[in-house]
Amino acid sequence: MIPFHNFSKFSLSVLASAALATLGACSSVPPVNPTLEMARAENRSAQAAPQTQALAALELRQAADAVARAETALQQRESAEQVTQLAYLARQRVALAQETAARKASEAAVVAASAQRDQLRLEARIREADDATRRAGQATQAANSAQQQAASAQRDAVQSQQQADAARQSAASAQQQASATESRNQALEAQLRELTALNARKTDRGMVITLGDVLFESGLAQMSAGGLRTIERLGAFMVAYPQRQALIEGYTDSVGSAGSNQTLSERRADAVLTALLGLGVARGQVSAQGFGETYPVAANTDAGGRQMNRRVEVVLSDEAGKLIRR
Amino acid sequence: MNLPHRPPLFPFSALAAIALLLTACASTPVPEAQMAVSNAALAQAVRAGSAEFAPAELAMARDKMSRAVQAIAGKDNAAALAFAQQAQLDAQLAQARAEAAKARQSAQALQEASRALQEEMNRKRP
Repeated sequence: MIPFHNFSKFSLSVLASAALATLGACSSVPPVNPTLEMARAENRSAQAAPQTQALAALELRQAADAVARAETALQQRESAEQVTQLAYLARQRVALAQETAARKASEAAVVAASAQRDQLRLEARIREADDATRRAGQATQAANSAQQQAASAQRDAVQSQQQADAARQSAASAQQQASATESRNQALEAQLRELTALNARKTDRGMVITLGDVLFESGLAQMSAGGLRTIERLGAFMVAYPQRQALIEGYTDSVGSAGSNQTLSERRADAVLTALLGLGVARGQVSAQGFGETYPVAANTDAGGRQMNRRVEVVLSDEAGKLIRR
Repeated sequence: MNLPHRPPLFPFSALAAIALLLTACASTPVPEAQMAVSNAALAQAVRAGSAEFAPAELAMARDKMSRAVQAIAGKDNAAALAFAQQAQLDAQLAQARAEAAKARQSAQALQEASRALQEEMNRKRP
């Protein structure tokens, strides 16, 4: 019995110390648990963050509960391993709450950004529509302007056409005038040739034809045959150019009295006038006047001079019928 | 005669108490429910893209799960439970980090798009 008793005492003490060691391992409370310290600090800062409070309230409560369980384990003197385990789980809960809050914040940002983008797109569309409207207005204005310009251009074109027509007309008119002038010049040249044939000479009073020496015998108003041919040409000329006026002037030499010479000069002029009228010259074209022995063209001292003074001069008007009388 | 009978009882009661204490402290059933929960959390974390967005947390969760499995094999159910509990929360944190990162990316992309659109509009403004 003694050996047994001794054994029993021995084994009891061994077992008791083992049990105490086991119990000690199980329930010894360290003054601090570093993991729990971290869990507390992290939990405090997470609970203090408004965003985490607002977005992850449930997860924060679970984290707080987890921390509380770890604290309880510590207070109830559970093993350090158990407290550390619970503290670790609490830390992870805190981190979970923070990540959840971050995710929800980002999701809210997604929603906000989507809304902003939709708003911007709407604004862009509105602006595009406004731009399009403005461009349309501008295009309309441009079109109106172009139309006005076109109308203006058309008016210009019409004006130009009219001016061209006017220019053409004036050109034609000028052409006509030119040709008229040319034909008149030609007519004048013809008249001149005829007048030349009539021995017309140019004087201060105009063209003067002298039916001179060959015509008249002294004191007589009869015409010679040669004088008659000249008068026939003159008559034809006057008929051909009815606008021409002719002044028929009779002159004598100084033989005889002035009164008889005056009468004789008138008879000579009248004779030519009568002859011209007989040739078909209009009465209004011709007039006759006697100047007696005045205006001699030569000296009456010899027969040649006197013969030159016995004459009829026909003064022709210009084309307008203007006559310069003595 | 009482005394010789007492001593045999004392060691037995002490042993029983120790056994009880040891059981209370270390002996736990195989944490099947916790293993299932942790495995589910791990699978969910993988589906959430934690391999890309929270690889450290995912690796930690996987490591603890394999330690839990090893502990079960070594009949250390208490350790298995502790590892499995940690693995569950590690996996949940990996999932949360991945989801937060993805949401952050989406927000940044959208904000960038809005900014680009705003800039384009400002540039277009005559």
